[in-house]
Amino acid sequence: MGSVRGQKPWFPLDNAAKIFPEVSNRKETNTFRVQIELKEEVDPETLQIAVDHILDRFPMFKVRLKSGFFWRYFDHNNSPFQIEPLPNQVCGQLNPKENNGYLFKVYYRHQIIAIEMFHSLSDGAGAFMFLKSVVYQYLVEKGNKITPDNRILTNDSLPTRDEYEDSYRTYYNHKNRKHIPEKKAFGIKGTPIPDNYVGLISGTLATDKMLELARRYNMTVTEYLAALMMWSIYVTKIQFREHLKANQKPVKILIPVNLRRHFPSQSLRNFTNFLKTNMMMARENITFSEIVDTVKSQFDEGMKKSELIRKMSENVAFETNIILRSTPFFLKKFLLKIGYQMLGLSLNTMSLTNVGKVDLPESMRPYIDNVSAAVYSGKFNTVNCAIVSFGGKFKITFTRSIIETTIEREFFRHFTELGMAVEIESNYVEEY
Amino acid sequence: MKHCNICHVDIKTNQKYCPLCHQVLEGEADPEYKELYPEYVPLRREVLPLTKKVILFMTLVSVLVLLAVNLLTWDGTFWSLIPIGGILYFWLIVRYGVLSKQNIAFKLALLTTFLVIILNLIDQNYGPIETRGWALDYVTPLAFLACNLAISVIIWIRRINYRDYIFYLIAILIFSLVPIILVLVTVINVAWPSIAAFGLAIFILLFIIFFFPKSIKEEIKKRFHL
Repeated sequence: MGSVRGQKPWFPLDNAAKIFPEVSNRKETNTFRVQIELKEEVDPETLQIAVDHILDRFPMFKVRLKSGFFWRYFDHNNSPFQIEPLPNQVCGQLNPKENNGYLFKVYYRHQIIAIEMFHSLSDGAGAFMFLKSVVYQYLVEKGNKITPDNRILTNDSLPTRDEYEDSYRTYYNHKNRKHIPEKKAFGIKGTPIPDNYVGLISGTLATDKMLELARRYNMTVTEYLAALMMWSIYVTKIQFREHLKANQKPVKILIPVNLRRHFPSQSLRNFTNFLKTNMMMARENITFSEIVDTVKSQFDEGMKKSELIRKMSENVAFETNIILRSTPFFLKKFLLKIGYQMLGLSLNTMSLTNVGKVDLPESMRPYIDNVSAAVYSGKFNTVNCAIVSFGGKFKITFTRSIIETTIEREFFRHFTELGMAVEIESNYVEEY
Repeated sequence: MKHCNICHVDIKTNQKYCPLCHQVLEGEADPEYKELYPEYVPLRREVLPLTKKVILFMTLVSVLVLLAVNLLTWDGTFWSLIPIGGILYFWLIVRYGVLSKQNIAFKLALLTTFLVIILNLIDQNYGPIETRGWALDYVTPLAFLACNLAISVIIWIRRINYRDYIFYLIAILIFSLVPIILVLVTVINVAWPSIAAFGLAIFILLFIIFFFPKSIKEEIKKRFHL
């Protein structure tokens, strides 16, 4: 039944996943979307068959969320899974009570196959593994001759224990777990979009030009885009208003780090940490090169192995605290909620996720037009950004919960001023 | 493809205005173009239905009237708390019995526990001293007995879902052991209802241990993992 031999049909939530069910609601949905656009129209019936097939390969996603006396846990879900047409709402709330208890959705529309996933289940890397397998299976069901080339999990292999693993627990170090208190970050204010809708603006650029641009500053693409984002925030929100009280907080951009690249983990569940750029911008005449230097040194600092382990261990130490563990769940729920309100979102201005290059087998590439991702935007992190590159197409997707699009405008105009071609698409929220 | 001559970007979707700067766009829309993003459909947010509003209004008014009459014709007792408790229990039934999407075993266990608590509170505070204790003597054990029986029958009929229900059955089983302890310390004077409830609880427990041993162990491990 899709469960690994010797593996229990249930498992506890991983370290990062534990917080999300307690703090999610209509405004803060904690979901994200990964999407592949094919070159042909998607046939929903074939897609349904493909998803039904491939879901047995991913028992860690074939679950429902349940609460026990001390913690929540994932229990094997035997109900059928139903794919749906893509809705207008981007990263809306996933209600576990609907959807047969599944914590993700598979959407289709014209050429698009998209997965929206609740963050408790997995992170972007895990979701992309799943999406690639779904698309592979779909193309196979369509009768195309393609090979997985060991880059895609298919039904030919069995799920392993390593894929189930809570890697935070495997790689944490209880000696290196110092808690460093943080200051609250600058928040991007704006007019909320009614009905908790999320506006999406996505820009497509050329990958090689992007790499060239980053190299010009001797930076990685993520570093360069983080610096550019800081610059855009400075220009649109802070410059010439340095004296305002709201602008006295540092601008902090949260950049998720895929820990699978730093530790030998095969896990398909959450295994991400983050680093933050941090700069007080309430002064005149900040230059782009100044931001570049700051961001670069902060990346070097944050990417250090000891620092990554420290952040991870800090969270695991919190979770393994015997007092928290033995608190009954209904009390723990409130503790986690209060803790997150105080420490969670207000510590960063926005999040910038670089999924990086999507790796697909050579035989599959001709069927795929572009790949993109999106992260929900909520009450505090009103603008978020997700970046994916596939082949020559470099897609930067902004999601926002406010009507204003000034940061997006400044960000994309920067590229057009350098003479690069930018192709914009939007989900029309600004025209309502 | 449309183009914004201020931002110098091409617009892939069929916008009238530039998404970035909200200016009118140049160029013709591609008639072959398939809309990437679906039309905006306003959310139909459920407004509080009129019946619910009426009942809520009536509840509040009757609670206030009861309190007012009680205080104006003060005779030394807070008798109005009994009907107010009844009204509260009605709302608990609506909230946790009817509207909740939890499974039926949870609803039964929760509502029985609430009922026992409310009736015991009434018993302890009202009526002549010599008739007091009826809630503890009769209601508590018999309510748990009925609840035990009901959950067992449900598990028996809907066997597919028994894993979810067993947890609540065990909770109610543990609760029905309380009256027998109270009999032993002579807080309860009429023994037979407590003994009947205890007997049924032990019977069901033994039945579970003999016939579903593995699922019980697994369920307890799941629900109580630290």
